Order: sequence, then C-alpha cells, then structure tokens
Amino acid sequence: MRSTAASAVLRRAVLAGLGLIWLFPTYLILANAFRPAGEYKPSDAIKPSGSFALFDNIAEVWERTDIAQSLFSTMLYALVSPALAVLLGALAGYAIVVLRLRYGFAWFMLIYGGSIFPFQMLLVPLFVGYSKTPLYDTRLGMILIHLAINIPFAALVMRNFYGGVAISIFEAARMDGASTMRVFLRIFLPVSWPALAAVFIFEFTFTWNDLLFGLTLTQSETARPVMTEIAALTTDVYAGTPVPIALAAGLVVSLPTVVLFLATQRLFARGLSIAQL
Amino acid sequence: MTVRQQPATSPSRTSAARTERRGAGSGGRRPGPHRSGGSYALFGRLRYAYVSPALLLVAVLLYLPFVWTAWLSLTRYDGLGSPEFIGLDNYTRLFQDEALITSIRNTLLWVAGTTVLPVGLGLLVAVLSYDIKGGPWFRLPFLLPYAMSGAGLALVWGFILQPEGVANQALSFFGMPGGDMSFLNDGPENTFAMLAVWTWQQLGVNMLLFVVGLQSIPRAPIEAARIDGASGWRLFRHVLWPLMRPLTTVVVGLALVASLKTFDIVWVMTQGGPGRTSETLAVTMYRDVFVADEYGYGSAVAVLLTTVTGLASYAYMRRQIGKEDH
Repeated sequence: MRSTAASAVLRRAVLAGLGLIWLFPTYLILANAFRPAGEYKPSDAIKPSGSFALFDNIAEVWERTDIAQSLFSTMLYALVSPALAVLLGALAGYAIVVLRLRYGFAWFMLIYGGSIFPFQMLLVPLFVGYSKTPLYDTRLGMILIHLAINIPFAALVMRNFYGGVAISIFEAARMDGASTMRVFLRIFLPVSWPALAAVFIFEFTFTWNDLLFGLTLTQSETARPVMTEIAALTTDVYAGTPVPIALAAGLVVSLPTVVLFLATQRLFARGLSIAQL
Repeated sequence: MTVRQQPATSPSRTSAARTERRGAGSGGRRPGPHRSGGSYALFGRLRYAYVSPALLLVAVLLYLPFVWTAWLSLTRYDGLGSPEFIGLDNYTRLFQDEALITSIRNTLLWVAGTTVLPVGLGLLVAVLSYDIKGGPWFRLPFLLPYAMSGAGLALVWGFILQPEGVANQALSFFGMPGGDMSFLNDGPENTFAMLAVWTWQQLGVNMLLFVVGLQSIPRAPIEAARIDGASGWRLFRHVLWPLMRPLTTVVVGLALVASLKTFDIVWVMTQGGPGRTSETLAVTMYRDVFVADEYGYGSAVAVLLTTVTGLASYAYMRRQIGKEDH
C-alpha cells in the first residue's frame, strides 16, 4: 500500500514537471501578447508584462488586417465542411457495413485512399482546375475542397463505428417497413452522434487551422480564411509587425479551437472510445 | 482502424460469411440481412447512391489532381505554355539530386522522431495520469498546444529558438551547454529542434487517444492484477500494455503516415532552409513547384512521396485487417 502511495507522488511529480515545461511556451505567448507593443524587448521576453495591453493589441490586429471578415469565412468553412463530411462519411459507412455493399471493402479503401495524398500535391491541379471553373476565390470552392479532404477520416471512423452496432436493430426496423434511408436517419445517425461529434471536432480544428488552401485558392478578403489573413502579420514579424501584436493575433485565432477542445474534452473522449478508434 | 474480435460464425454460415467478408469489408461482421432476401433487392441499387457522394467528391477533388500530377511528372513544365513530354527523365534526376537525399534523410528523421517522441511521451503522460486524482488537470497543459495554429506556432517558437532567443537565455541561465547554439541554422540540428516543437504540439492529441484507450480497458483484469500485488511498472508491463497494444498500433500507424507528409511545421519555421538543410519530401516538392517553377520535377517528387505513403498506409491497413480476420 505504501509503495503505491509513493509511486502516486512520483507520478504526480513527473507530470507536474513535464506540465510546467509544456506550459512555458504558453506563458510566453500570454506574457508578450499582454505587453504594450512599444515596450517589447527580446531580452526581456521572459519577464511578465507590467501593464495590460491585450485589448489594445487586439484592436491593432483589427486595424491592420481584414480579420473580421476572414473569421466569418473561416467559421463557415470549419462548420459546414466537417459537418457535411461526417454526414457523407456516415452514410458511406452505413452503406458499406450495414447494407453490406458488394465489394464494400474496395469502395471503402477507395474513399479512405484519398487520405494518402500530400496536400501540397493537390495545390497546382486544384489551382488550375478552380481557375477554369467559377470556383476560384469563392467560399463554395473552399467548402468543397475541405469537404473532400475531411471525408476519408470520417468514413474510416464511421465505418468502424457501424461495424460495432448490433445489426439486429437494422433488421427489426426493416421488419417494420422503414426504408433504408429512414433507418439511417432515425436510428443509425442518432446512435452515432458521439462519434460524429468527435470526428467533427477533429476536423473543425484541422479546417480552422488551414493555411495552404487559403493561400492557393483564394485572393479576395471575402473568401480568404483567417490563417492566411494573419500569416503575413506573423511571418513578417521581425520585419514589421511588433511581436505583441502578432502574438495577440495568434491568440485571437487560436481561441475558438482552444475553447471547443476544452469544452468538449469529455464528449471527445467518449465519442472516440465508442468508435473504438 | 479498429481491431475487433470476430463474432463466432456458425459452420453452416461459414462460406457465405467468408464471401461477404471479402466482398463487404472487414469491420465487425455480424450475421446480417440475407443477400438473397426480398428486402435486399429493394435496396440493392440505392446503396450505391449512399456511397457515391463521398466517392465522387474524393474522386474529383483528390484522385483527379493526382492523375494530373502523375502525368505532369513525365513532362517539363514551368507553369507557362504547355507541358513538354520527357518520359522518365524527372525520375532519373530524382536519384542524383543532393537536396533530395538530404530531404529523404530528414523525412526519415521525422518518421522515427514522431513515432518515438509525441507518441511515446503521449503514452507516458496517459499512463502516469491514469487513475490518479486530478488526472484531467495534469493533462491540461499538454492539450492546450494542440489547438494552436501553425502560424502561431512558428511565431512563438521562432522567437524562442532564434539566436540569443529565449531558449539560449534559459540554457545559459541554468548553466547548461547550448547557450550559444543556433537551433535553426544548421542541419540536421534544425530538424531536431523542430521535432521538439512538434512534440510540444502533438503530445496532447496522442495522449488523448491513449487516455481513451485506457478508459475503455475492462477494470476486472486490472483489479485482479492489483490484488495479486502488481503495481507501477509491472502492472503496466504485464497488464495495461498488452491490453493497449491494438490502440498503440493505430496511433503509431497514424503518426507514421502523417510524419511521412510533414510539411506545415517545417514550412512555417524554416521554409526548409537555410540552404535546404531542413527540407522534408513534402517541402522539397512544394519548393520545386512553387518556388523553382519546376512543375514536372516537383510532380515526380509528389508521386514518389505519394507512393511511399500509400505503401505505408496499405501495409498498415493490411496488418489491421489481418488481425481482424484471424
């Protein structure tokens, strides 16, 4: 019993030590985002800020960039594409596993195979293709590409999930004369919502943080996602933008994902364990 | 992705079940609707309509670009005019390219480093924080970085790792060696420095996956082992670890495929430099196309990378399916 207590203390000590190391960069972000832009000196970056200038810095971000509109566009992409992706992934998983599609595994591999391509490879073909259609520099174009790249993971998890749902539910519903679509919408979709939510959160974070597709496929303030919008601000930091301003921008754009992640931690864990990931 | 025990199939159904398994995928087969039943015919065609939206989007937006890239890899093309067919020249050039060799070395470092550090440390934190009071609070510091964007990451770590930056200051302050080291300026040190940053960001998500895995382990064998006096390392080694093996395979598999495609972190932190010393295959490809305007050659690198990733993915899926089918 005593050795267990001692080991619990040791475990906490190791965790706390590692945790402090992990928190240090987070502390640096906060300390310097709070600092008035004029008072920043690289040699004093470790010291906490004496005054609170976070909101001034954020106001400055608003001044220098078109961030409000980008935030709206990004929110649209990050909500719509993953939502549709989990829905289409679930429908595909349902057809493959529950409805026993012939050559289902091959169909599945074809969908899942979409995940092997490095995204940078897609950029030139997509740029050329989008330019030849009205998709270039539109919100629809951005939603479509994010939808496509989010489908394989959604299909993978949902196929696994439905593999674990008792088929007798399906048979019973069919006996009652419900159509396959109705069975999907009324039974399989509702039982899988923790898994759907878990995949959605993953993909929301991923879509929210996209920089590459924004750089390549958009141009105007209307369609440009927020990471692309602030990229110039943060990469030119040593040339122009004061560090506190750039860090404040980084903080603003990270906030939605941080909040989402922490708020849904429980659900997240539950969704994944149900999906037997 | 899942490794699940197959439900026992009665002998009379065995051959039918086997056909179905081969035909219809491998996830958790259970005796289901009959293939020859009347209801089957009714939804026979419709099922394809359920798969097709997903398939269509993936085909048009992911496979089609790949086909185009594969064609471009056989040409010389600078983005203007039209591609000129040159056969396999780009591919023979691949193997004489010094920068590509560095890039392959760095990619291998990323693959090895990613499977050891974020995954290994993620497992460590998950196991240490398993079943202790306040576990979720101890895990919190590791989760925060995961939500951080690439651009934010580059900014913060750029200024930590820059010459005479925070990292140098901290090392000097504690009297450790490395106070005058420039972390991002020499290869392969810059790859190691970025691996450290990557570990900082990615540990959380791996930890979360392991936590989920630990929580879904049945309590009975753990309690039984505890009563038998197992604790600490022995409990982990002989009880937890074997039960977590399937999940570990999954997490390592995901990390393996993702690490082969390492791009974002390198691009935002060093753009592959200085002097191409920190390039990975994905960065080399991006650079050849978008910086050097060598669309054909860049496409050949893309095809090489996709092939390697595809083979790794396939081998991994095969392994999973092999287990499912036993």
